[in-house]
Amino acid sequence: MTKTTLRGAFAATTALSLIASTAMAEDYTKYGIKADVPGTCSFEAIDAKDYTGRTLNIITHAIPVIGEPTALHAQQFQELTGATVNVVHVPFGDLFQRIMIPFQTQQAAYDVLFHASLWLGDFSPFFAEVPAAYQETSGMKSVTDTYRGVSLVDGKLLQYPMDGDRHYLKYRSDVFANPDMQAKFKEATGRDLTVPATWEEYNEVAAVFNDFDFDGDGAPNFGTAEVTKRDDLMFSAFISRVAAYAKHPDVKGGFFFDLETMTPLINTPGWVRGLELFVAAQASMPPGGTSFGLGDEIFSFGGGQTLMSYSWDDAFIQAMQADSPIRNKVAAAPLPGAKEVWNRTTGAWDTFETPNQVSYVTWGWSSAVAAASPNQDMAFDYLCFFSNEANTMADLQIGRFGVNPYRAEHFDPAFYQNDLGWDAAVATTYADTLKAVDSAPNQVFDLRVPGVGEFMSSLAAGVARAQSGEATAQEALDGVAAEWTAIVDRIGKDKVKAAYANVVALEDK
Amino acid sequence: MYRQKYLFLLPGLLVLVAIILFPLLFTIRVSFSSWDVYNPGLNWIGGENYGRLWEDARYWQALGRLTLLSVTTVLIQYVLGFALALMVWRDLAARRLFRVLFLIPMMTTPVVMSVLWRTIFHESLGPLNPILESLGIGAAPWLSSAGWAFAAVVIVEVWQWTPFMFLLLLAGLLSLPNEPYLAAKIDGAGPVRTFFSVTFPMLGAISVGAILIRLIEASKIMETVYVLTSGGPGTSTETSSYYIYIRGMRDFQIGYSAALSLTYLIIMIVALTVIAKLLVRALVKDAA
Amino acid sequence: MKTLYLALKYLAIALWSAFVVFPFLWALTTSFKSANGVTGGATWIPWVQYEPSLQGWQSLFGGVGGINVVKPFYNSLVVTLSASVISITLGTLAAYALSRFTFRFLWMRNSDITFFFISQRIMPPIVLAIPFFLMLRSLGLLDSLPGLILVYVALLMPIAVWVMVDFFNGVPRGLDEMAWMDGCNPITTFWRVILPNALPGLVVAGMFCIIFGWNDFFFAFTLTFTETQLLPVAIVSLNSSVTPWWSLSAAALVSIAPLVVLAFVVERFLSKGGLAGAVR
Repeated sequence: MTKTTLRGAFAATTALSLIASTAMAEDYTKYGIKADVPGTCSFEAIDAKDYTGRTLNIITHAIPVIGEPTALHAQQFQELTGATVNVVHVPFGDLFQRIMIPFQTQQAAYDVLFHASLWLGDFSPFFAEVPAAYQETSGMKSVTDTYRGVSLVDGKLLQYPMDGDRHYLKYRSDVFANPDMQAKFKEATGRDLTVPATWEEYNEVAAVFNDFDFDGDGAPNFGTAEVTKRDDLMFSAFISRVAAYAKHPDVKGGFFFDLETMTPLINTPGWVRGLELFVAAQASMPPGGTSFGLGDEIFSFGGGQTLMSYSWDDAFIQAMQADSPIRNKVAAAPLPGAKEVWNRTTGAWDTFETPNQVSYVTWGWSSAVAAASPNQDMAFDYLCFFSNEANTMADLQIGRFGVNPYRAEHFDPAFYQNDLGWDAAVATTYADTLKAVDSAPNQVFDLRVPGVGEFMSSLAAGVARAQSGEATAQEALDGVAAEWTAIVDRIGKDKVKAAYANVVALEDK
Repeated sequence: MYRQKYLFLLPGLLVLVAIILFPLLFTIRVSFSSWDVYNPGLNWIGGENYGRLWEDARYWQALGRLTLLSVTTVLIQYVLGFALALMVWRDLAARRLFRVLFLIPMMTTPVVMSVLWRTIFHESLGPLNPILESLGIGAAPWLSSAGWAFAAVVIVEVWQWTPFMFLLLLAGLLSLPNEPYLAAKIDGAGPVRTFFSVTFPMLGAISVGAILIRLIEASKIMETVYVLTSGGPGTSTETSSYYIYIRGMRDFQIGYSAALSLTYLIIMIVALTVIAKLLVRALVKDAA
Repeated sequence: MKTLYLALKYLAIALWSAFVVFPFLWALTTSFKSANGVTGGATWIPWVQYEPSLQGWQSLFGGVGGINVVKPFYNSLVVTLSASVISITLGTLAAYALSRFTFRFLWMRNSDITFFFISQRIMPPIVLAIPFFLMLRSLGLLDSLPGLILVYVALLMPIAVWVMVDFFNGVPRGLDEMAWMDGCNPITTFWRVILPNALPGLVVAGMFCIIFGWNDFFFAFTLTFTETQLLPVAIVSLNSSVTPWWSLSAAALVSIAPLVVLAFVVERFLSKGGLAGAVR
């Protein structure tokens, strides 16, 4: 047999099977998707697999954020392949230890893990690399460089991208467009009301509209809702506020540390300025706003209590729910910037005409397969199925799922307009903002190194001391810097440095 | 005297020792290692963790705060529990209903109740501040100012565990014999004097036990702090076990947190022994 | 004077009752809210102040986007009751011994041994997570009901011993002595004479064991994976980034329901004077 005939025969059988499958084409729309999208992990391809008698164990976040789609696709996977799929849901405060204890004690407890991508530095030794076949799928190919980047360790793809997260500014467009409010603002400050381009402006706008009934419902509204509760992702809010002052566009080689020496940079003037503004903004927060967790922030901005906020998509999506009182009265924009940026090579503040804007690509749910799992084939099939194009497009439409744009095609405003019924203006600001973050020239990423939990809880404790007035911004961050130096020494400078090099490579690309 | 006495004691003792022995020895061993997120395993670093602990100001501050918190809450619980027990002891309409009602908070799951309490203390969406305002007392910054956050934790603890004191003291009251009261009446003692000369002394032994157990349990407070304040604002509500939790589970410094815990264990055992002795001397008459 | 005293007493009782009931009323009304109901501020009356929704309750009984509390409820029941029974059995025997006989191990006397039992509750649970994990792993009992029961016995037995020692100390020794004179040995004395009189103590000990077992979160959480979930763990799996106030409120009400029954049982013993001497 020659090569040609072989190929011919192969083509013939493929054609045959295609015909056969079309003939008995199943209707997969009952699973809540618009239409199956052909590919390696389509409903049809997974339906063809038989995992009867095998069990897949999955650990994921609490319901509904990520937890609900995990359970939904697990149910579907079970029906399609005959496998038994067990899912356990864990609140994010406890997720890390729940995954780490079995890892460290060599217990193959879970096959598939959904986790925060910033933990990659700790988890990477326990993750299985995504096999080449899955890296070639159309779904994987269209993941943007940013979100592929956060899953790489030394060039190896260790996480299976299934979500994209970042911080951006959210504000009440109805208030900003209201002439009365504009007049009020002008009277108070002498300048026109614009979407804040710097954090100083952000604080100023928040202060003017704080404790003021801008929506006319009889209850006072407030300036800003931020995640401020210690040990509750507050570190992300803080880094968002700092980045523009501390991440000079022309200075390479590290944001948290100087990569060369691994000296912490967190007590440098840019960081201190960011913290001072964070502390100052407390005056414009709603009652209790100085101990808001993420859930409180979501309710506060998403429920229409506050004028502005910045964090992940959740509050924005909450505001855009079909029954939300402020639906289509919100807009998104990139995080405010800074006109003065600390330059650590010259040791001076550099002034910028156009504010220095820095995108913070933070958190982001991700998924992976345990290296110790005996079911890696099935596990990767599940993840590939979870994030196949049909499922992802369906998941993106359900706000509470927490699956947010991470593929090139997700940044199309038409999708939000047509499928979710958003106003064109809202859809455009949303899609454009997300796209801008994705392609921003100046980005910072989470500290994806071993011991990230330790670094961040130390940072949060320090920031909390400044917030409560127990210490000045400089004192608090000096304390954190000392702790960070100790942590680096304890874990090992080389290990932290090697992992941090991956992060810096993304920032300095 | 009797050989059989060991048949009673040993099954329980041995089972307990069997279950607890490995974890205890393991913890002692781990406390001399640097087991952390990146280097799991039992290496030997000598007393390094204990040296670090000695200089860890946050740990000692947390211990001080815990002392204040547990002593405050247990005292309030004891006084309130005693008062409530006296009130529903006798001469009260529908007292059985109130007895059941007063027991219920103890039955609730702390981790779930803490989330519920957080919604109650929520300063703009929760029900507490509107009620205080309508009573003319005014809203309070429950979770965002140091003093109030501490008070919030105390309130939750008092709500949950006053029933514990209440139950033990009520059971004690109901089992008191009648004769001393008759005698007091003949002496012409008023209710206050009767309480201090008859009731209170007779409940001394129960009081000591109840206070000690509550002190042990109150000192482990973790979930309430975690959910309500995460130790904030600043470090104003950070207690020992929460700090150990942060070091152990969040930072995953297993070795260091083992050292913290063992130190805590020893301090507690010493403190409780002393407190027990003092309480017995103060409250139990026939102790000498 | 008398009326003033009565008025104050009823006022105090009313205030405390309000304090006790308050969180439950709040949970009840919150359990019928949706996100809009919550962000609308503190409201109490459905239909009038907010649009009621069954979302919270639905999320507790299966369906995508929820959990099913039935199996965790059953698991919690099995673990709590088994561990309580074992703890009380062993704890009662030990307590009887500590109350009636004199022991001396090295420097330890009876009171030291009692304190040894109780001291098992001092250790912060966090630090025991990994050793217990390793221990159950080597026994092959991770993520299983027997494994949890084993750990819970260690948690509950100290309570049983504490309550029962106090209880037996309050039971007159005369009872034992009479039995001995009738020719009973310690075992038959305990079985025929002491145990039947120990019911009130057992009720209190049982109640504490059940409360502490039912409400433990940490070990139930750390020592299980996907197969064996207990109720508190299942409930917090609803605590996502957007804290669903409605589901958690409903769950809080569900999880206390069985223990409220317990409160009635205990009160019954209490009021009949049956607990006399249970704690002394």
